[in-house]
Amino acid sequence: MLSSAGTMIGLVCLWVVTQMLFLSGFSQERAQDLLYTQFREDIAAATASIGPTTPPGEPVALLSIPRLRMSQVVVEGTASGDTLAGPGHLRKTVLPGQVGTSVVMGRAVTYGGPFGELDRLVVGDEIRVVMAQGEVSFDVVNVRRAGDPYSQPLAPGAARLTLQTAEGDGRLAALTPDEVLYVDADAPKGFVPPAGLPASVPTPELVMQRDTGAFPLLALHLALLLAATLGVVAARQRWSAALVWVVAAPVALALAWSTTDVVMRLLPNVM
Amino acid sequence: MLAALVAAFAPASASPSATDDRVIDNVTGRASSSFTATKALTRVFENADGTTYEFPTNTVTVSASETENLRGRQRITISWTGAQPSGGRASNPYGEKGLQQEYPVVILQCRGRDDASLPPEKQVRPETCWTASVAQRSQIARSEAEATWTHDRLATPADKERVSGMVPFPTKETCPTADQDPFFTRLTPFVASSGKTFKTYEACDSTRMAPEAAVDAAFPPAEIAAFTDSDGAGSVEYEVRSDVENESLGCNHKVECSIVVIPINGLSCDKPAEPATIADSACRKGGRFAPGSSNFSNEGVDQAVSPALWWSASNWANRFSIPVTFGLPPDTCDILDPRPPTGFYGSELLAQASLQWSPAYCLDKKRFKFQHNQMSDEAGWNLMESGGGAAAIVSSKHQRRGDDPVGYAPTAVTGFSIGYVIDRPDNAGEFTDLRLNARLIAKLMTQSYLGSDLGRGHPGIGDNPLGIMNDPEFIALNPGLSQISQEAGAALLSLSNSSDVIEQLTDYIAHDNAAMDFVNGKPDRWGMKVNPSYKKIKLPRTEWPLLDDFIPETENECRQNNPAVYFTQLAAPVTALRKIAEALLDGWPNVQTRCEVDLGTGGYKLGRVDRQSFGARFMLGVVSLGDVERYGLRSASLETSSGDYVAPSDESLAAAVALAKQEKDDEPFVLDQGEVRKSGKAYPGTMIVYTAAKLASLPAEDAAKVAQFIRVATTEGQRTGTGNGELPAGFLPIKKSGVTAKLYDEAQRVAAAVEKQAPTPTAAPSSDTPPPDGGGGTTVTSVPSSAPSADLPSVAPTATASAAPTESPATEPVAMPETQAVSSDLGGRLLPGLLVLGLLGVALASAVRFFVQPPPGPRP
Repeated sequence: MLSSAGTMIGLVCLWVVTQMLFLSGFSQERAQDLLYTQFREDIAAATASIGPTTPPGEPVALLSIPRLRMSQVVVEGTASGDTLAGPGHLRKTVLPGQVGTSVVMGRAVTYGGPFGELDRLVVGDEIRVVMAQGEVSFDVVNVRRAGDPYSQPLAPGAARLTLQTAEGDGRLAALTPDEVLYVDADAPKGFVPPAGLPASVPTPELVMQRDTGAFPLLALHLALLLAATLGVVAARQRWSAALVWVVAAPVALALAWSTTDVVMRLLPNVM
Repeated sequence: MLAALVAAFAPASASPSATDDRVIDNVTGRASSSFTATKALTRVFENADGTTYEFPTNTVTVSASETENLRGRQRITISWTGAQPSGGRASNPYGEKGLQQEYPVVILQCRGRDDASLPPEKQVRPETCWTASVAQRSQIARSEAEATWTHDRLATPADKERVSGMVPFPTKETCPTADQDPFFTRLTPFVASSGKTFKTYEACDSTRMAPEAAVDAAFPPAEIAAFTDSDGAGSVEYEVRSDVENESLGCNHKVECSIVVIPINGLSCDKPAEPATIADSACRKGGRFAPGSSNFSNEGVDQAVSPALWWSASNWANRFSIPVTFGLPPDTCDILDPRPPTGFYGSELLAQASLQWSPAYCLDKKRFKFQHNQMSDEAGWNLMESGGGAAAIVSSKHQRRGDDPVGYAPTAVTGFSIGYVIDRPDNAGEFTDLRLNARLIAKLMTQSYLGSDLGRGHPGIGDNPLGIMNDPEFIALNPGLSQISQEAGAALLSLSNSSDVIEQLTDYIAHDNAAMDFVNGKPDRWGMKVNPSYKKIKLPRTEWPLLDDFIPETENECRQNNPAVYFTQLAAPVTALRKIAEALLDGWPNVQTRCEVDLGTGGYKLGRVDRQSFGARFMLGVVSLGDVERYGLRSASLETSSGDYVAPSDESLAAAVALAKQEKDDEPFVLDQGEVRKSGKAYPGTMIVYTAAKLASLPAEDAAKVAQFIRVATTEGQRTGTGNGELPAGFLPIKKSGVTAKLYDEAQRVAAAVEKQAPTPTAAPSSDTPPPDGGGGTTVTSVPSSAPSADLPSVAPTATASAAPTESPATEPVAMPETQAVSSDLGGRLLPGLLVLGLLGVALASAVRFFVQPPPGPRP
């Protein structure tokens, strides 16, 4: 009995860790693929969003950092659920490339960790952004952590891109993303943003915040997992082990996967 | 002979002073320009033997209350004495319906001036006078007995022909009915002015009229055949139309116009034939109705004394031309000033003042372009607080939501009134002395009148009167009115949105014990009960809700198919005070109970009832005092202390201002309705309109504009008059001395404070600073008060200018605050924790399997 309990705990914990660190990278890559195609079409058709009313989850910009060989499609919204697909754009700021300061948050460790290597950036590095109004090249002006001074005030007409992610320190730095890392990059000239920027966003969309609204969904997923387990027990009494394995394994895997996705929404959005 | 006709013709020049016999409304009537002229009118018959017979001469004096800078739909008072008493009076004297009267006074608006020195196209002629129907202009295919104009003594030989009025006369294609031998036709074409071209409409049938004269045009006819009382006097509120309302007539600030008043004195007739023809004797008729009698059944009248021939030479010769000028059109600033406007948002109470004030700003290059956008006080206030508008125009204190302090600068003293249009029974003209108390207003607002028999089924109040005209309390207060109930008598047309006007009106009710007892459920002396839906409603309130939900049960199929809350249809509030003023002006209640078949779809539809007919109008509405003055409406006197009824006037507004108190600097003055009640002289509807603006974090440019506006509005803008930048009627001027001195002082103080823009400890970060990273992070602390703001760069250049002159100040780094720490314990501990827990679980399972329960060996 104790043995199965231990096995279950081990299985659940290690599955979650494995999916967060490794498996989720696949789903993130797939999401990026789809977003890239969609964004490319939007740009070509000139229907990409420039304004503050983009629905969350829609692609708004293509962000590439040549030094890190990183290229990601930025989605609208910074809640934990939005940043699963890629870096998210804080909705109360202008879009990257528009006049003013734009904030983009990305995950450091989990779900592909697109912003995991931001700490390697140094002042002067280039960040390229393609958005609905055109292409803008930013130069990194400041990499700052808690206690470092803010970047200099922005000149009129200039655009600033602030990338935010999490980082850890010490020996287990890669596993303990608990502090926020900021990278400021400036472009001398930005595009004119449309009016109507919201003055505030819900708390879950601020950096390092979690989306507690996902609890009901989690309860549903756990119930489904329980149902699946009971189903396996029942099936085991009638059918052979091999048959049960074949039928139950994909269901269990799919449920486990999507349950972890929900768990992710309850965790900080740049982790 | 001709000289004898127009014998004593006094110079028809505008006299600067108001005349004694002028009738002024009871509200703050200040005539800046008036007109008086006197003429002797004599009807003359030429006898067969060449002698003449003269009727006794009527010496008529006509005066007008206001002739300069008129606005569209403004009503001016025109009064006269010494005219021939009218007979056969119609219940509706306007337009076509006023034709069947005898000896009326025809009043028309015409383009041009009565000045022989002007070029012909600028002179007033019958062809430039506006009428809304053909029958008022032309006589088509008349028999000889109805062709009296052909025997007019002053008519030219051409005008005495069988067909006349146009040369060449229109062809059969244009006017098929006009030329039919042996019938007589006289056309009075209308020459329309649209810009520089003049188009002539033949006026031979309704298709040959200017477009504004279409049947059921947007505006009811304004021209009137008014009646003269048996003492020879009469007066009327005449509505003028600018080119906004009537482009064909085309009166505006550039095109001069006149109001032509023609007292119908009877045609003068030429030498009769031997023997006299039918037309000769028809021309000599003197009317068949006795003076003062009415002609309800619209019987025919004697043409020679009817208003239909106002254009006839001898009638036209009796005209009084009142020269009028029009003010700048409302869109002047949009057209003449290309600068972007600075929007002030809020109260409609200031609307008429803004209309006169704005050209004084936009046409002066040293001033900014002022624009008053009318909306509810609350919406204007919110815009001002959020930075969307430079200033708000409000008339009471509003809840502050931001951190920035707000100053209220008194800008105008005006108010609201209960406007009304009520006709006395038996064609006796308009009722001019309405008195109301708080309980009657409460009864109207709480929808406690039933409207019609449909309301009888309303639970709890089925025995209430149908309308206010049936309420014994109202009858005792205003005796002598018709008690025939109308649905409009159950409603006070009011505002649907939040407004300081509603707040003050309900505050007036809240300070009246009798009214509050009624609202709280105590029946009045006559047994009338409050509508249960509004019982114990909390007063005062800024917005009046529609709470009733009674849908009457009826046999009417249309109503069965369109079930609607009946009392809500009766009340049907609107969004703007101006709409209420226009509804009163047109005598057209906003009662939405009309239910009829929709011919297009075959279904049923609900809609607004018809305009009320003249002689039976009864309508009440909440209006602003500015609108009251512009549209010539009437205001009810409101009860203050018991038995004292106060109408809005300069004195009663000033008495109320004297009672208003200010608790603290920058705050609005508060008018305590309890004190108003005690004083007995102050008007309860007095409201002070403020320009409210932020005293901090308003951009310097806007701050300067707001300060300029407050200063100009409280000095130059308080001169009364009708010119640009002057204060229109309906407002009490704010002066440096007297009761309004405190308002003046406060306005100047707030103007200085707005201009100065006090720095505040919580200056909001400007857009070029980094956004607050994370903002609501789990461990973030509040932003320090030294957050980067606009004042930082201003320090840097002065400090470095002398030290490093070669270096551009822009490159000098600015001391920036530190990045706030935002962290998450969950983020730091979760992954290692899960990993450790998972490994522990596996270890536990393995340990249990291997040590506690030895692995099963090969079976023996």
